[in-house]
Amino acid sequence: MKAILTLFVQLLRRSRGGLIAMTIGLFAFEFIQPVAIDAFGNLDQLIAIMDLIPKPFLALMNVTPEVVEEVGLPGFLALGFTHPVYHLLVSAIVIWIAARGLAGEMESGQVQVSMARPVSRPQFYLARVLAVVLVSLWVAVIAVLGNIVGIFFSQPDGGMNNWHFVAQGGTSMLLALTIGGVALLVSARADRMGQAVGWAAAFLIISYVIDYFATLWSVLEPLQPFSIFNYYDPPTALAHGTIPITNVIVLGAVSIVCGIAGMLIFERRDLPN
Amino acid sequence: MSSSGAGPAIQTTGLTKTYAGVDALSDLTLTVERGALYGFLGPNGAGKTTTIRLLMGFIKPTRGSSRMFERDTWTDGVRARSQVGYLVQAESLFPELTGADQLAFAATLSDSKAPLQARLLDALELSQTALDRKLKTYSKGMRQKLALIAATQHDPELLILDEPTDGLDPLIQRAFEAHLLDRHAAGRTIFMSSHDLGEVDRLCQRVAIVRDGKLVQEDSIDGLRAQHRRRADVVFAHPLGDRIAIPGAEVLQRDGQTLSLLVDLDPNPFLAFLAQWQIESVTIAPPSLNDIFAGFYQSEPSNR
Repeated sequence: MKAILTLFVQLLRRSRGGLIAMTIGLFAFEFIQPVAIDAFGNLDQLIAIMDLIPKPFLALMNVTPEVVEEVGLPGFLALGFTHPVYHLLVSAIVIWIAARGLAGEMESGQVQVSMARPVSRPQFYLARVLAVVLVSLWVAVIAVLGNIVGIFFSQPDGGMNNWHFVAQGGTSMLLALTIGGVALLVSARADRMGQAVGWAAAFLIISYVIDYFATLWSVLEPLQPFSIFNYYDPPTALAHGTIPITNVIVLGAVSIVCGIAGMLIFERRDLPN
Repeated sequence: MSSSGAGPAIQTTGLTKTYAGVDALSDLTLTVERGALYGFLGPNGAGKTTTIRLLMGFIKPTRGSSRMFERDTWTDGVRARSQVGYLVQAESLFPELTGADQLAFAATLSDSKAPLQARLLDALELSQTALDRKLKTYSKGMRQKLALIAATQHDPELLILDEPTDGLDPLIQRAFEAHLLDRHAAGRTIFMSSHDLGEVDRLCQRVAIVRDGKLVQEDSIDGLRAQHRRRADVVFAHPLGDRIAIPGAEVLQRDGQTLSLLVDLDPNPFLAFLAQWQIESVTIAPPSLNDIFAGFYQSEPSNR
């Protein structure tokens, strides 16, 4: 356990600059959401504007005007958690920490600094898993915190149960963990950080595109269950304070299976020169 | 630090590593006894680094096995490495960490208080001010010093060093050599590869030479010398005729009264020949490791 903690702390220390910069960006993005909602005045005006937005554009954010109309402010806030920029920021942070800790260290030869010591491959890998779990929790907390602080300052129209942010934090963390699991898996296989980032990004883009087009094009609907974004539901979390159990099971299973598969690959592979 | 078991420090049996059908290392069988100061030589691409990477458990053998202190380096790598100090490439150290952090990280992972750290810092002239700086500000030589300290500060039973003095100035190089001799005197085993054959000659008792992934020679340095012809420089009192055959030697250069030769392993025919002539001076030197090493690579051209 001491070796895992030492490796974990050392990875975070080396990554703190990048992590702080990216989380400031995430906080700012979520802070702006309630401020922007407030800038429109009352929610009815905002709903009227949303009705004018073309359906393909709304599909990008995975929130329909009907949902927003039904649940009010939580529906609008959900836009901040389904927006492509949010996904971009969260994915960048989680993929970066996983790829840097595994593929990045293999590319630079830094993995040998640790592996030359009496440290096992699973210990080295588990330190990276711990980092991904912590960073997933961190991004979920920061995003929700950004929203709460934004609401506090702007006081937008409509009511919001603050406890529902716990459910939103949970669903955000689940998605981040799933992305992290995939990133760990591909990083365990890759020799270079760019390769790992590319593979993880490709997976996410395909997953996002399937989810996006499935809402617009019925032919793709059967593929929607294969997208991880199908199991990510901020409107329900923010409006009702719950996470559907199917989402927990699917995202949890994907992250665990990918995490274990990554460890098995890393344990058996040759470390690159 | 105590070592377990009674076996040799390193033992490889039929160790083979193949990449895309090409043997980077082929059937290497080698034993390094405890307490040895052992040189592992070969040109670039000969298989030295592959061997070391196999010993460290960084790569899996295609065939055969390697053991350190009787522990298999692939299946029981953690325990095999528990008594080892390995010199990582200086460029692989973490640029974002300070020198002190780097050494503390290495000591923590080795579960050691780094008993030799202060002595090494002094011998290699790495100051506390330098240790407080991030590695990205270090010169190549300073990084190499830090890598050497990180590898050896916990006084391991076995040191595995790949080009240990690369990038060091001659004074620091000698200081590190003195440290290695001190550790050898304390009973530690040292396994090193180096392109500096003078260094290997000064330090090592035994050497293995690899070429094209195969072991071509393994012997003590004295044993290697005994198997190779000595170089002789003779100045005759009078010019020697060009047509005079010289028994027991191969003429390398003939310049008037001066001859440079390689003397056969049995020197008697050559000495008997010299006795017939009036000689101004004779120098007969044992072959240097450089000569021996060059001989291996010139005698049989590589297939690769």
